[in-house]
Amino acid sequence: MRCLVTGVAGFIGSHMAQRLLEQGHEVIGVDCFTRAYDLAFKQANVGELKKYKGFQLVRGDLAQMQLLQLLEGVEVVFHMAAQAGVRSSWGEEFQLYLNHNVLSTQRLLEACRGMRIWRLVYASSSSVYGDQSAYPSSEEVVPRPVSPYGVTKLAAEHLCVLYWKSYKVPSVSLRYFTVYGPRQRPDMAFHRFLKAIGSKTPLTIYGDGNQSRDFTYVSDIVDANLRAAEAGQPGKVYNIGGGARATLREVLAILEEVTGTVPLVSWEKPEPGDVRHTMADLTLAKQELGYQPKVALREGLARQWAWMCEWLQKDSGLPAPLNLSSAAVKQE
Amino acid sequence: MALPKDLLEILACPKCVREPGCTGELEYRETANQLVCHHCRLVYRIEEDIPVMLIDEATPLEE
Repeated sequence: MRCLVTGVAGFIGSHMAQRLLEQGHEVIGVDCFTRAYDLAFKQANVGELKKYKGFQLVRGDLAQMQLLQLLEGVEVVFHMAAQAGVRSSWGEEFQLYLNHNVLSTQRLLEACRGMRIWRLVYASSSSVYGDQSAYPSSEEVVPRPVSPYGVTKLAAEHLCVLYWKSYKVPSVSLRYFTVYGPRQRPDMAFHRFLKAIGSKTPLTIYGDGNQSRDFTYVSDIVDANLRAAEAGQPGKVYNIGGGARATLREVLAILEEVTGTVPLVSWEKPEPGDVRHTMADLTLAKQELGYQPKVALREGLARQWAWMCEWLQKDSGLPAPLNLSSAAVKQE
Repeated sequence: MALPKDLLEILACPKCVREPGCTGELEYRETANQLVCHHCRLVYRIEEDIPVMLIDEATPLEE
């Protein structure tokens, strides 16, 4: 099977592409390598993918580039390209979010019209929910994003539904709940926490630490995408979570166990756009996709810590050696 | 390493490809590691076997 993976150099896109390549599929990857974070991470991700014969990569912007030829022979599109980050989506930066999250998705959907695509799986986000009055959140509740980022993810999700209803572009949207694991972006919480622990500096928590998230390990997200590509109902939206909720205080306790270090914490005020809690109702994903998260938070954090230790050791500017023994867990 | 033929076939100049009557055709210059759009007179570099199809990063064709 030939697949298009957008945002292929990113955290989730690179895991998605790698799984497809391991399964013997061809992957055409697109990424514009924005400078939203250190390009060294994206280059390392792509370096892994270039080891596979079936991988091809184009550096381009979906909002600009020719997409029809790119879709030639493609059966499944995994649309993971996005301008990520909640806090940076306010102010002037919003233009980037419109471009990379809304316009890019609209152009991709438009290009899929009339093409023989089996599925387009769109990477949406739990941030579309905002603060809800009850948890877990089912796909049926009215989304109320509390950040401009969430607004753009919801807009793109609506475009996916619209292009299915109007033009039969077989899109399926997956609302990811706080994804973590090896290769996580450096601006994301667990990456920052583990880096701070590894370098023995304080990590920052915004709020009182009692806010909670439904954390989802990246390989579970990849599984969900494969299932959605195969069995997702076009035009539908599915929650994809990790199956359990943890507060940041609980996360700190797990981090202490996994790293063997007591984290130093700097407490800051909550930031605008941060939601208080997230928790996915997985009923629909279980029923229609057969999705079941497999990696528990402790195990997933241990794997991310192992990756972080390797990454930090490569970076000569940081102290080494780190204690790897506590992270000696079986890798996938 | 030369870019594979099937990859070259799916590439087009992102600047002019949406103009009426323009296909965004590119000339592949293997030795120079470049893709050239003669219509826009722009050069797109190929970096570590990755074609960089970004208008902002293209350079003017000087010939």
